[in-house]
This record gives sequence, C-alpha cells and structure tokens, in this order.
Amino acid sequence: MPFYRRLAALLSGLVLAAPLWAADIDAQSYGYPLTNPFEATIATTPEGLRPTLPADEDIDQDDYQVKLRPEREFEVPDNFWSVTKLRYRLAQQKGEAPLIFIIAGTGAHYASSTPEYLKKLFYGAGYHVVQLSSPTSYDFMTSASRFATPGFSPDDADDLYRVMQAVRAQHPRLAISEYHLTGYSLGALQAAFVSKLDETRRSFNFKRVLLLNPPVNLYTSISNLNKLVQTQVEGVNNSTTFYELMLAKLTRYFQKKGYIDVNDAFLADFQQSREHLTDEQMAMLIGAIFRFSSADIAFTSDLINRRGLITPVGYPIGEGTNLTPFFKRALQCDFDCYITEQLIPMWRARYDGTSLNQLINQVSLYALEDYLKSSDKIAVMHNADDIILGAGDLGFLRRTLGDRLTVYPLGGHCGNLNYRVNSDAMLEFFRG
Amino acid sequence: MVKPFKKTLLLALLLISGMAQAQHDQVDEDGFKQPLKHLQFNPGLDQEEFERATLTALNIYDPLESWNRRVYHFNYRFDEWVFLPIVDGYRYVTPTLVQRGVTNFFSNLGDVPSLLNSLLQFKGKRSMKTTARLLLNTTLGVAGLWDPASKMGLPKQKEDFGQTLGFYGLPAGPYLMLPLLGPSNLRDTGGLVVDFSAKNQVNFLNVAEASTHHPEIILLEVVDQRSTVNFRYGQLNSPFEYEKLRYFYTEARKLQIAE
Repeated sequence: MPFYRRLAALLSGLVLAAPLWAADIDAQSYGYPLTNPFEATIATTPEGLRPTLPADEDIDQDDYQVKLRPEREFEVPDNFWSVTKLRYRLAQQKGEAPLIFIIAGTGAHYASSTPEYLKKLFYGAGYHVVQLSSPTSYDFMTSASRFATPGFSPDDADDLYRVMQAVRAQHPRLAISEYHLTGYSLGALQAAFVSKLDETRRSFNFKRVLLLNPPVNLYTSISNLNKLVQTQVEGVNNSTTFYELMLAKLTRYFQKKGYIDVNDAFLADFQQSREHLTDEQMAMLIGAIFRFSSADIAFTSDLINRRGLITPVGYPIGEGTNLTPFFKRALQCDFDCYITEQLIPMWRARYDGTSLNQLINQVSLYALEDYLKSSDKIAVMHNADDIILGAGDLGFLRRTLGDRLTVYPLGGHCGNLNYRVNSDAMLEFFRG
Repeated sequence: MVKPFKKTLLLALLLISGMAQAQHDQVDEDGFKQPLKHLQFNPGLDQEEFERATLTALNIYDPLESWNRRVYHFNYRFDEWVFLPIVDGYRYVTPTLVQRGVTNFFSNLGDVPSLLNSLLQFKGKRSMKTTARLLLNTTLGVAGLWDPASKMGLPKQKEDFGQTLGFYGLPAGPYLMLPLLGPSNLRDTGGLVVDFSAKNQVNFLNVAEASTHHPEIILLEVVDQRSTVNFRYGQLNSPFEYEKLRYFYTEARKLQIAE
C-alpha cells in the first residue's frame, strides 16, 4: 500500500509539474467547414454556423466624437474636415455592466464588419461596448495620433490609451462594473501593449484581455501580406488586369444566376460555382486590400507630418483638389516602403533607434514576452493556418502563454471569429 | 492468443496515425500549417500587377472632377447634418413593421419602371416575372405593403432607363456626382429623369398625382430610400474615398447592364 501511495504521489507530482500545454483543438471535433485558409479569410463562417446576435434595433447605440488633437484642424487641408475629431461607437446596457473596448484591425474603421460583429456578440452577453478605429486608420491617424506615424506599437498603445480615457470621461454617468479589452489582427497586438501600459497607468485595471489572431512578429506579417500580391494569377495577361478578371468572373456568375443578389451567402455560393477563385487569386485579393491600407497610411502620415515624399510640402489642397496623382504615388508604397521611408526615420529621430531588427523587437509581441508569461489575465486565440504567421510564431506563443493559448486548426486570418465554437469560447473567457 | 493480437492492433493503430500525420506534411513542429507554402509566386517577387491593375482602374472619364469633389463634400456634410439625423428620427419613432411596409410600398411602385425597362430591353422572362410581382404584391400584398412575391421565389429585379440605354450601347459619359443623389454619370442622370417622368405618367396607384398635393409623400419616399441604402460617407475610411466610390459605381453599373 505505501508503495502505491508513493507512486500516486509521484505521478500526481509529475502531472502538476508538467508544463501547461496550449489547448489545441483538433479539426474533427472542431467542425469548421472551410478548410481553405484564403476562403475562410475572405468569406468567413457560413451563415448557419454563426452565433445568434441581437438585431440592430435592439441595441442602444450611438456614434460620438472627441476632440483629442485640436491643432489638427488647422494643420490638415480642408478636405480632411470629417476626420479632425475622433469618432467611436458606444453601445450601452440599461444598468451597471462591464465595459469592453474593441480595437479594430489594420486600417479598419470602428464600424467595419468585424468590430460590428464583436459588438453584437458582447452586447448580447450584457456588456457595454466601445468600438475604436485602428491606430493605422485614416480617421485615427488624423484625429488621435500624436505623431501620425503608426507602426511603433508602444506609441500606438499610448494613443489608444488616451482615447480610451477620453471616451470614459465623455460618459461620466455610464455605470461600469469592470473593464475588459479585446482586439483582432493588428488590434490584438496593440491590445497587448495597451494592457501593459495599463499596469502602470492604472486607469482601467483591465480584468481580462483577449488577443484574437495577433501578429507575433510584425515584420513577418507585413512580409507575408506584401508577398500576397506577388502570386502568379491565372488569367491575368497583357490585355486583362487582375480587377478586370475578377469583374468578368462576377458578371458571368450573375448572368448565370439570372439576377444580382449580394447577401451573406453570396461568397460561399460564388466559391461553389464555376467561377470560383483559385488560391492565388484569393491571395492577390487579400494582398490588394492590404496594399490599399498601406497607401492610405503612407499618404496620410506623409501629409500630416509634411515629409514631402508623396504630397509636396505646401501644396494647396482644397475640397475640389484632384488627389488622384497622390493616390497613384501612394499606391506604389507598400508596407515595406512605408516602414523604410517614414516609420524608421521617425523612430530613429525620436527614440534613438538603430537597426530594423531592433525595431521589430520593440514593436512585436517579443517586447512583451515576460509580461505575457506572467500576466494571467491575457489569453490568445489563434489559427494554425493563419496567413499572417510565419514559422516559429506559434512556438513563441506556446512557450509564452502556455494554456492561455488556444490554437484552432482552421479559420485562416480571423475567418472563424464568427464561428459559434469560437464565439462561445470568447464569451466564456470573459465570463471567467 | 490474445496478447499478440493486441500487439498487432497497436501496431496497426500506430501505422494509421502515422499515415494521418503524413497527410499533413506541411504542418511544422509547432502545429503551424504554413498556408503560403503551396502558393505559386512570381519567381522574382517583382511583378507589378497590383500597381498596373489599380492605375488602370483609376482611369475613369471625369472632366468635371473639381466640381464633383465639391459636391461629394457637400453631400457628405448634408448627410451628416441633415439627412441621417432625419433618418434616425424616422427609425426611432416608426415601428419596424411599419418601416418595412413603407419600404415595400415604394419598392412596389418602383417595379413599374423596372417592368417598362425590361420590356424595352426585350427581356421576356424578366418582364413576366416583374409583372407577376406587381400583380401579386398589389393584390395579395395589399397595394404593395407586403412583398409576398419575394417569398414565392420572385426576387426583385431592378431595371432603370440608364441600364436600358447602356444595354443599347450608349457609353456612360462623364462621371457626375449629383447633389443629394450621389454618384452617377451623364447617361444614368438622363435615365433618372426619364424614369421619374414615366412614373408620373403611369401614375400607378394614383401616388404620383397625390404627391403633387402632398409633398410629404415624396419626403417619406426619400427618407425611406436613404434608410434602406447602407452606404455612409466616410465608411471606406480612406483619404481616397472619392476615387474608390467612383470606381465602384462605374463597375457596379457595368455589371448591372451586362446582367
């Protein structure tokens, strides 16, 4: 008997001492239908598998604006009039409730589809919800960013933190029991930095922080996205550009169908049809969307800081000014170009930075390794087939977060956020 | 007898699991699936298809650009300060069921020009369907307040005179940003005028005549239309929204004409 007891003690000791493994969901029990990561990224979850959400008319919500950088009104040209104040959306519950901040992904507006979806999900579960634009978006850069050169995560987090404080100050009567924070894609990386900042500034004392599909090494993610527009796309030739190819496919699809109807099921149905896109075509489409983001960032940052790289300094711009020539120039600037021409020079001047590697370490999750290891309130949900990750990134997350990391086998980049299994897990995490 | 059997079973299981592993040979030791690995890349990673395609797409005939841009900003402000507050107020005071009835009612009226234009383009099947829609919705749907036709598998198929002109090969002409109405072009603006007067001539359900005495009907139609169109200025959140809107409008019209 004593032998058995000793064995039991030894075994339980071993079990307790074992490292905490990340929760890996296996594909079979997960049941997510889209096995193609590009398709999942573009179309997201089929309609029947999404969670039930409250209807728009059942949500008590409004858009508000705060003036955070009063000088911008006088610094930016007239046609920026709509973005001199930062807008955000707040959905309020009736009585006291926890409040959750949602940070949007690269270039995204607070009212774009993913923050809207997350809002509905959390509102339905009884949270006040605040939706914030990404620090890389046109409106945030102009109205809330101190240096208007996004990409240096500690600064972006600082800007976000000021915005959150201003939002809270604008609603003194809102009864809040505790604060939570989430973000997806680039917004998730920024959420981690915001949470770190909150440990010293202590304005919110976030109870739980959830990072959804964050980039681990920001440069890997950017390189992946830059590379997507380098795929060899079938059907593109001297007489047909990529967009013409896409539009021709759409036209044939609708002609066959007999009428135009773009609803939630449209993308899934399109991929089932003869006109379905190949992986390369989908990759190009995703890459193109990010190139438009980088063009907006490069143009806006250059203009606000008067760097003269895209818009000549002092060029008169009014509401009637043709911006197409600047758009054309900005389009040729991908994320790499933006980093080299604008972010690195600013970072060197302001923070005495040196090499690109040093910058990467300062802006990626690596900079928070110790914090992520020790802070139990942070969890990460990621996908094994996420297109913004590179080799070793999941390994870093596994080592750093242990059992606070959940790896889903499918979903591409954020394609499974609106899958019922994921939404249940998210709510469960915040419920604690 | 039992033991060796168990061993073979174990071996077989191991083999099966090994095969299952081999199927996912792209997965690395972290469990990362390397989704970009199988893509066909341009070997030099120096193709400029994105740049080429986008620069081509920016070539849209827009001789009145400076004027159009001013109108775009005017519309943006009007939307923000006048139009949307009215729409929000309307939505706040009107029960959802009534809103839907109003939308259906005006949509049913809109089927009249759709029918005329389908006929003008000799689209037989579409004309039949739109006729059936009009009959069903006006009778069963009580003057169009309900839309039983869509539920019976007859979805709305809008056709306007701009589309008819495009169908006969008339080019779009210069791009135009119309005050309050939004993006258009010379051809579609002409179409709009024709459709409007056709609606007045037909005077379906006597609405056109009644609105001359009761301008609030027109106001209701306009508010209803704005509340059903999802577009918001600033929603693309880009300093180049004007260019993007222009491209989307032009291509969407091409698509509607081709279909």
